[in-house]
Amino acid sequence: MEIDGYQFPDDLYYDKEHYWCRVEGDAVVMGTTDFAQKMAGEIVYVQFPLVGKSVTQGKPCGALESGKWVGRIYAVVSGKVVEVNEELEDNPELVNQGPYDRGWMIKVEPSNLEEDLKSLMQGDDLVQFVKSEIIRVAAEK
Amino acid sequence: MYLFNVGKLSGQQSMLIFPALATMGVEALIIVSPKVPLASIGYFQDAEREIDLSFCREHGIPFMRREVGGGATYLDENQIFYQLIWRRSNPRLPIQMRQIFEQLSIPACETYRKFGIEASFREENDIVTRGGKKIAGEGGGDIGDCMVFVGGILLDFDYETMAKILKVPDEKFRDKLYKSMEENLTTMKRELGKVPPREEVVRTLIREYEKLLGRLQPAEMDNRLVERMRTLEKRFTSDQFLYKKTPRKPKGVKIKGGLEIRYGIHKAKGGVIRTVEEVERKSINKIGISGDFQFYPKEDLASLELELRRTEFEEEKVCNKIQQFYEAHRIQAPGVMPEDFTTAILQSQRDPSE
Repeated sequence: MEIDGYQFPDDLYYDKEHYWCRVEGDAVVMGTTDFAQKMAGEIVYVQFPLVGKSVTQGKPCGALESGKWVGRIYAVVSGKVVEVNEELEDNPELVNQGPYDRGWMIKVEPSNLEEDLKSLMQGDDLVQFVKSEIIRVAAEK
Repeated sequence: MYLFNVGKLSGQQSMLIFPALATMGVEALIIVSPKVPLASIGYFQDAEREIDLSFCREHGIPFMRREVGGGATYLDENQIFYQLIWRRSNPRLPIQMRQIFEQLSIPACETYRKFGIEASFREENDIVTRGGKKIAGEGGGDIGDCMVFVGGILLDFDYETMAKILKVPDEKFRDKLYKSMEENLTTMKRELGKVPPREEVVRTLIREYEKLLGRLQPAEMDNRLVERMRTLEKRFTSDQFLYKKTPRKPKGVKIKGGLEIRYGIHKAKGGVIRTVEEVERKSINKIGISGDFQFYPKEDLASLELELRRTEFEEEKVCNKIQQFYEAHRIQAPGVMPEDFTTAILQSQRDPSE
């Protein structure tokens, strides 16, 4: 779906840190949203957790830089990292070009998926949250 | 919100206070200068690729990785740093990056104005003078549950040492770097003809920040803070943190937003071509070409350099321009085709040995 010009694919789950996840069989793929990448501007560096490391839902698990700002990457679900998108290390701008496809960030083997998904947003909850964020950002100007 | 107006702190302490307070969740404005010079690299930079470590060692200049973004820089007592820390949940301060830089740069811009320097924020997150020269660099990041914004008022700047602490492919590049910094980076001393008293600048800066943040509560560095700084210092000075590798190779040295010095090298059949170019907003400002190839008429190499000015930094545009130049000037360059120059110029990188 599109919310005020920002893309949010319907089959994904979203958190309030502006990250998404997609369930792919036994694994979960995560990345940042179209809204977040547009707010951040050109991503110039990314840093991911090591494969094999455990990450916890809502906690920082990596970092990225855009416009001289070092931001955190938050884990959307808990689990063990099984793969990271190494292509982003040389081409971080792929996050801007395709945040939901070539710009994916981390793949995990989830440890508590059913519970974790309950705290994530889809549908109307997501629309409400994104609209409130758009208003908040507009109010800062 | 607290105010830590701590004057000059020794060495890395000046850059440790803000991460210490941020990890403690203390909202504060810090005003500080380093007592002794140091080199600082951005969070994601690779020290060995960015800094001339042997020069720093020989001259006793320590280097450190900071927890905020941006590029390598040289810090000394002629810079007054403002470091602002606030909780992400604080509704009075922005959370969106562009707004953070724009709004929180206002006090520094106003400070410059109060001293007669017309300065304003520019989109690439620099503060620039009316003449377009950079007069403050800024950066920021998320640390713990806090957000941190840092910048520095330039009373004066040591251009020469800055050019020396950076790792560069050769001395021609360093020379170009130095000249470009001199042309594009300015200071209060340069703008005013003298360095204003530090305390006067500090007072103005605090007053301007108070207009934005409300009354600040003066605070001293207590034992808890000093202890936290000591703990962080161990991590920040560990080899693992200092020499952390990053996969991205630096392509050039950024002088200010949108302006970079790049280095190119290419081995053509007819010899090695080296280029040093100043690229501004994806267009060549100036270029120097050298190497051990043959090029006739010889004097036309300088004309080619001039011809390439204001050419878009794109393969097709650069190659077409050189091809046209070859034809118009009947260039004879055995084993060196326009494509070879194009490759040298476009495939620029800082360290040609990689």
